[in-house]
Amino acid sequence: MFEGPIQDLIDELSRLPGIGPKSAQRLAFYMVKAPAQDARRLAEAIVAAKEGVRFCRDCFSVSEGELCRICRDPGRDPEVICVVEESKDQAAVEKAGVIKGRYHVLGGAISPLEGIGPDDLRVQELLDRVGRNGVREVILATNPNLEGNATAMYVAALLKPLGVRVTRLASGLPVGGDLEYADEVTLGQALEGRREM
Amino acid sequence: MRLSWIEIRDFRNYHEASLQVPPGLIVVIGPNAQGKTNLLEAMYYLCTLESPRVSSDLPLVRSVTFSPGGGGQPPASLSPGPSSAFLRGEAESSGGRALIEVEVRGGGQNRVQVNRSPVRRKRDLRRHVRAVFCGPDDLRIVQGEPDDRRRFIDECVRTLWPAKEGTASAYERALRQRNRLLKDWPGPAAPPGLEGWDAELVGHGAALTSVRAGAVAEIAGRASQEFQRLSGQTAEALGVEYRPSVEPAGTETLEAAFRRRLDERSADELIRRTTLVGPHRDDLGLRVQGLTARGFASHGEAWGAALSLRLALGRAVASELGEDPVVFLDDPFSALDPERRRRLAAGLGGRGQVLIAIPDESQLPEETATVWCVREGQVAAA
Repeated sequence: MFEGPIQDLIDELSRLPGIGPKSAQRLAFYMVKAPAQDARRLAEAIVAAKEGVRFCRDCFSVSEGELCRICRDPGRDPEVICVVEESKDQAAVEKAGVIKGRYHVLGGAISPLEGIGPDDLRVQELLDRVGRNGVREVILATNPNLEGNATAMYVAALLKPLGVRVTRLASGLPVGGDLEYADEVTLGQALEGRREM
Repeated sequence: MRLSWIEIRDFRNYHEASLQVPPGLIVVIGPNAQGKTNLLEAMYYLCTLESPRVSSDLPLVRSVTFSPGGGGQPPASLSPGPSSAFLRGEAESSGGRALIEVEVRGGGQNRVQVNRSPVRRKRDLRRHVRAVFCGPDDLRIVQGEPDDRRRFIDECVRTLWPAKEGTASAYERALRQRNRLLKDWPGPAAPPGLEGWDAELVGHGAALTSVRAGAVAEIAGRASQEFQRLSGQTAEALGVEYRPSVEPAGTETLEAAFRRRLDERSADELIRRTTLVGPHRDDLGLRVQGLTARGFASHGEAWGAALSLRLALGRAVASELGEDPVVFLDDPFSALDPERRRRLAAGLGGRGQVLIAIPDESQLPEETATVWCVREGQVAAA
């Protein structure tokens, strides 16, 4: 639609997740109008992130050094591992501040439709870690959707023979929510997991 | 519940139309290809956000505008059509009034507002209004493939219990994942991670089987009654029976039965590389006078069966909600003999708001409260 570099930029931006052609166009024109040093800073941040970000040797979360902040922290219980799909899920769980142990980032969930099998995830690394470090409990915190459940199931089947306690996050009603707006599946699961009072 | 008015813009062959919709039986009359079905379709779409005829919204947007010729002048030029159709209207039910506004975009997501606030899911609209449509395409339920009948059962589920709409799509996704895994795994043994998909398939599949069974139980007896009333004979019964792929034996739970059947077929599944057990292989058994409707029923009987199933759905929704849904019948009389026409026409009262489209006045039912004449995308009260 446009000529030369501006169209190249729009094309590149529109390949990003969540960015459609209209947003890409808006961002591209914003950057063209913005001061030169802003554009340079953004470009450098992208390159630096791509080159500088590494994955933690133990948990495969994004990290600056060889080990991430949590794996370096001696105060974290090494006998409890919380398994998540992505680094951003780890950040969400960490924000809640309820996990005193460490994490393991699988790098996704099993999804045959997208061509992601167990070998594409860091499952073997998790098994090695559990066998090596005398882990007491593995908490499976993959997403509560079809793919996350199937992944949890698969990982659990491999972990159980190692004699470790394997737990799965509960599903249910959001705190502060209304029953009226809860969908049927969630309500059903909340009912299944009800507790004695 | 009923529609109280509707405004249509650029929908199918309608440029602009605005109609007050009275309660009771409304008959839409007009020659072929003037827009009777389109009018019913527009009203049904406003109620459900689905077309009974097409799965894509593209054909719904009026594609070409003729310059206003009038006075017998030929259309002077063709210009590109509008990009969206608009439907507005109000539904009244015991729960109150709902102003529904829909922008049907040929491509991309539609915009829907109920009482001026945006609505994301189709099922949120069903809190305000429910509708049942019966048209010539419904012959497929009787004469078509099992797939057509499964679609009908799932539509019954959605119309009866909007909250259960997700059951079918959750199963569908689990099935597609499992099928892909079976298909892509190169080894001779079971692919790794299959147990996880088995669990998803069984969980969602059992849920789908039980809601389908519930929906069929709601309509089976009612469909048989409707069919008897139509044929006027008690002997000529319509048998409706859910034939699930998974049936528990004895005291077995549905989940256990599903697992047992999967185990039984697992070797076969690894050879055929696809899922062989589950609600995607369900069927709806339809019998007329004891014979399978598909293949044995005459054209008239098949149409009578399809009509009876739809009317039964309407009755079932009425008993579920305590008020009748809006019922649309497109060309209901054409395959019926005069006696059946008379009986169908006589039975259309007392069902709430019913809109029927017919090509000529000789079929006008006695109960008719309102007649609309349709010509070239214009509606006039008769």
